[in-house]
Amino acid sequence: MPAAKEIGVERDRCRTGIEGLDNLLNGGVPRGNTVLVTGSVGTGKTSLSVEFLIHGARAGENSLYISVTESSEKLLANLIHYDFFESRLLKEGRLIFIDLPLIYERLGLDKHEFDMQDTDILTKVIVDLVREMKTKRLVIDSVTSVCYRLKTQENIRQFILDLGTALSGLGCTTLLVSEISPGSDRYSLFGVEEAIADGILVMANLERRGDLLRTLQVVKMRGTTHSRAKYVLDLTPVGVLLVPLLKGGSVATG
Amino acid sequence: MPGEIAERLMELPEASAVSLRMKTEHYFDVVRAILDVFAPKKNLDSFYITCTIPSASIINALQVLEIPVDHIWFVDCISQTMMSTSQRHPHAIYVESPTMLENLMLKVEYLIRHSQEQRNDLIILDSINSLSIHNNMKILNEFLHIFVNNLRSKNAYTIVFSMEEYETDEVRNIMNLVCDQTITVKGD
Repeated sequence: MPAAKEIGVERDRCRTGIEGLDNLLNGGVPRGNTVLVTGSVGTGKTSLSVEFLIHGARAGENSLYISVTESSEKLLANLIHYDFFESRLLKEGRLIFIDLPLIYERLGLDKHEFDMQDTDILTKVIVDLVREMKTKRLVIDSVTSVCYRLKTQENIRQFILDLGTALSGLGCTTLLVSEISPGSDRYSLFGVEEAIADGILVMANLERRGDLLRTLQVVKMRGTTHSRAKYVLDLTPVGVLLVPLLKGGSVATG
Repeated sequence: MPGEIAERLMELPEASAVSLRMKTEHYFDVVRAILDVFAPKKNLDSFYITCTIPSASIINALQVLEIPVDHIWFVDCISQTMMSTSQRHPHAIYVESPTMLENLMLKVEYLIRHSQEQRNDLIILDSINSLSIHNNMKILNEFLHIFVNNLRSKNAYTIVFSMEEYETDEVRNIMNLVCDQTITVKGD
């Protein structure tokens, strides 16, 4: 429970730099929150997450992307060519991409199943990276791939809880990219991630009369009031753009 | 006639939304008035949303009329539906279908941000009648309300074409609701 003097005090915001999203969140993600960015393939989760980091790096905040499945090199090659991206951010170390499989290998964690001790080591390594690099924005893409190795719900719960608590203490705002199946009625594959995260951004494909629209919805965000409406998004060289989803009595599926 | 139409447009205050009613035969006079006289005089970037004929045809017509397209960009909502986007113009971007009204708004937003010039903006929607073929009135009403108000907040001029021959009462009602005024083009 917050101290009496803190009640009603507006929390410091981490502006995502995505104007539409910051508006939905009344100024940005409350700093230190751990947010699940969840959706099926092709919904724009990675693009949105990378844009969040680039804007942070441009604003002078050290930003770290931990790639779990795809190599960073391949990711950067396939990324949209943002008008606002500056290669100096990489050179200056403001924006860093790390491949988690390389860390697994160095730590001797290149096995398919982690026990509780392995999970603790992984958490510690990530937190140490964030501390040493003075990271203020972190993306783990995807947390689902990490969770596959953690196997049990207890391990997953402990990992996200410990990670979120430690990162919040360091003032780091974190996006955990979560992969779900199209049409899933849950926000995460294992059902645990969504309960522990401070926020949930749902990205989806909406089919309407044969048209496929990319949508975004803020389902939960601790520490701020926010819109809960569904928005249509476009991934463009000027970044993610949002407009309200038109209802018009013709939306076939939700 | 283009001079007269341009004069009427020059009187508009900033951020105006105008319903421009015309007969089909006056279409090119109106286009010339807007893109060759009004927009250059006001130093405007023009964003032309075409839902009726492909942007390539309009660009060709502008070339014949000797109207430069340096400050004109096109949001083409019809070429992909007609499967005719093989030759893409650098000043045109495409929306898959005129039913994707959100994407239409997003492409306009993108072009406005991408142009990044310190000029005011003019958005031309050609036409409400074509959009009404592909969309029901409820969603069209909602779209125009959001779109026009959003453009108004950016201090942009919005001109919505309406072809008299194809106007219905419903279309007239929508236009009256969202536009500040109606200009009817009369022939000689």
